[in-house]
Amino acid sequence: MSTVSRRTFLQTLAASGAVLLPVEGFAQDKPKQGGTLVMDVQPEPPTLASYISTSGPIGEVSAKVYDGLFEYDFNLKPIPSLATSWTESADGKTITFKLRDGVKFHDGTPFTSADVQFSIMEVLKKFHPRGINTFRALVAVDTPDAHTVVFKLDTPAPYMMMALSGYESPIVPKHLFAGTDIQNSKYANNPVGTGPFKFVEWQRGQYMRFDRNPEYWRPGEPHLDRIVARFIGDAQTRSAAMQTSEINYGGFGAIPYFDVARLTKIPGIASTTKGYEMQSPIVELDFNTRVKPFDDVRVRQAISIAIDRKFVIDNIWFGFGKPATGPISSNFAPSGIYTADVRNYNLPNGADVANKMLDEAGYKRKADGTRFEIVHDVTPYGDEWQRFGEYVKQALAKIGIKATIRYEDVPTWLRRIYTDYDFQLTSNWVQNLADPVIGIDRLYSSWSIKKGTVFVNGSGWSSPETDKLMKAAAIEIDPAKRGALYHQFQKLTVDAAPLVWVFELQFVTVYNTKFKDLTVSPLGAYAPFNRASLSA
Amino acid sequence: MGVARERARFIGRRVAQAVPTILVIVTLNFLLVHLAPGNAADVLAGESGSATPQYMAFLRHRFGLDQPLYVQYLDYLKNVVTLDLGYSFREGMPVRDLILQRLGPTLLLMGTTIVLSIGIGILLGLVAAGRPNSWRDNVISVVALVSYATPLFWVGLMLIVLFSLHLGWLPTSGMVNIAAFYTGWQKAGDVARHLILPAITLSLFYMALYVRLMRSSMLEQSGMDYVVTARSKGLTERAITYRHVLRNASLPIVTMAGVQIGNLLGGSVVVETVFGWPGIGLLAFRALFARDLNLLLGIFFVAACLVVIVNILVDVVYSLLDPRIRLR
Repeated sequence: MSTVSRRTFLQTLAASGAVLLPVEGFAQDKPKQGGTLVMDVQPEPPTLASYISTSGPIGEVSAKVYDGLFEYDFNLKPIPSLATSWTESADGKTITFKLRDGVKFHDGTPFTSADVQFSIMEVLKKFHPRGINTFRALVAVDTPDAHTVVFKLDTPAPYMMMALSGYESPIVPKHLFAGTDIQNSKYANNPVGTGPFKFVEWQRGQYMRFDRNPEYWRPGEPHLDRIVARFIGDAQTRSAAMQTSEINYGGFGAIPYFDVARLTKIPGIASTTKGYEMQSPIVELDFNTRVKPFDDVRVRQAISIAIDRKFVIDNIWFGFGKPATGPISSNFAPSGIYTADVRNYNLPNGADVANKMLDEAGYKRKADGTRFEIVHDVTPYGDEWQRFGEYVKQALAKIGIKATIRYEDVPTWLRRIYTDYDFQLTSNWVQNLADPVIGIDRLYSSWSIKKGTVFVNGSGWSSPETDKLMKAAAIEIDPAKRGALYHQFQKLTVDAAPLVWVFELQFVTVYNTKFKDLTVSPLGAYAPFNRASLSA
Repeated sequence: MGVARERARFIGRRVAQAVPTILVIVTLNFLLVHLAPGNAADVLAGESGSATPQYMAFLRHRFGLDQPLYVQYLDYLKNVVTLDLGYSFREGMPVRDLILQRLGPTLLLMGTTIVLSIGIGILLGLVAAGRPNSWRDNVISVVALVSYATPLFWVGLMLIVLFSLHLGWLPTSGMVNIAAFYTGWQKAGDVARHLILPAITLSLFYMALYVRLMRSSMLEQSGMDYVVTARSKGLTERAITYRHVLRNASLPIVTMAGVQIGNLLGGSVVVETVFGWPGIGLLAFRALFARDLNLLLGIFFVAACLVVIVNILVDVVYSLLDPRIRLR
């Protein structure tokens, strides 16, 4: 089977929503033991303290060491990990988790309910950048016995159940952290968890080494002897290293999009876009709705129509994406949250329609053919964004808007967009994450217009109606009612067009087919890799 | 005896002078890096892709960014004076440890590059100057020009394509074979194999400088009166070249080498990136874009010390090469 058709095959499976079954079906014969997987992690993580930082590359390695209460299947449903079962009270305010017996931390200490209580209440709720929000409704965690924890909430929190993976909410050992300064723990770079791999060493600038945990709680797993994470700063070198098998796995676009097609033609190298269903990044253009002319909804809508989404996906991102319809990714379709029934900006003759809208709105072309001039900021996260900026400049020129491109480094750009609000239109990409309460509220609610906090509501738009819908959905435990609230939210937000939702970006994982079962959950590279093994 | 004592006194005095120089550099660096917009808290939270206001406030406090600038400066000065260099909150490690870890690979790459580039540069320069405008001279000049003008990253990538992808002789990147975890001599051989491509890439560029310099310096010296004197004394051309001309002609090379050390630290960022070499240049690059100021200032401090030391060494080498130069 060629690698390209392999990808199509996986996508077809994904569309049919039946991925898990066939993948498990393949694993009939006993997986081979042994082998070293070398993964490229890009960039090198600053620390391994995933309990206080959500910096992307940290999760790729920390999730091999730390378990969470849950893992998730491709339908975004929780499956047991450290928690074996759970029951929710009728009002959704009490959740009881039964914990797995006989689990040991890597230092030999048994895992108990005290570790869960400590991790959630003393670490994640206090210091984790998203945990502060995720666990906001959590009042207390009770521990009636060593293998039971009871979450006491002041309101129902359906989103919290989506955030209990080892990547998002790692369970750390209480006996090593209690009574110490959590933010400066000596275990930040020397993690001790319950996961399938033990941390061995970190040679800064070179690699991290994780060896098989022989006492892992899933019998017979993990299959690999060792996982090594390497850090290669140059994209071309990463491609070359993938070709020479010096690295076997690169997630999150470690292999540049333009090289994926070439590499996957080589026998033994394949790619997949699965494993990012709990990230769901959307490529956007953010308006500063505080300033003219972007305080005018008609201008925002016209620009949204003028952007040719298909052109951008095919020519700048090499086909790795699909047009976005609104703030919520279609990855949320299985949980009933997503709807495509909203105002459609993805029109074939976009420029003509947009020109007419701007004429009618009173933004007449001047003698030189322009209506007005703007500065377009380009988000500083790689080459393709510069190309996207150039495209936006041309697309805007077609509707009489003269754009000057501004490209700055990450700290300067963050400061401009989220602290100084000194911008007009910027490209951006923000992830939907595991639940709208975690990924969406922060971008569109009035309470997320927070000067100085990054990747929140920078466009400055909000409305009382959408605020109300988000607040109601956050505590609605009936999935159908919750879905209806979000459908209404999408309708209203899409009408107001505070952003141009350009497309749903697909990350791509490139890997060596010498290994199998590398992508087995929506957490992809953020999964523990306990099932990964040599192919034959 | 007198010369040796003079030399020791010279070095002592230069070291004493270096202290205020380095303090001035440290202060300027401190002010410069604080001019850059955005701070470490922004970046760290930005990398997280999500943050709450509480988290941002907590980061700013942790990094000391809520302190007035002069307090941050005094804190920093105290760190430098005690050679502590502070703590990188981003990397969760003392700056000194971070730099020490990277210093070895950096010095290895730098040392190899200096030896290779100066050695080959002098050799080719000599050959070229032996018969100016001959075909040998022309070939060497063209090679030098091309390797000087070609971007480092491109040379690096082309070497990877040739030696790693097509021939499969050498690894693409890194400093050791990750899957193997060698020890002892096997490890040394492994590191050497990984060192070849980055060292050649970096050396080609600097070699070009030394070739040009050596050639012109040799030609200039060979027209001097003392060469005519030596020749009339009946010395062989060989003796004239190696005993007299070469010694005088290498003075500019030493000067250039001294200046280049500082450059080499910076210029190796590209090579370190392409080859995934765990050097200090890459660390500095990373620190800059993360606004990890403690780390960045620490690296600047080490670089400044290195340049000062090399400059003192260059002056000493001068006096060895040319006894007329007195160390005062």
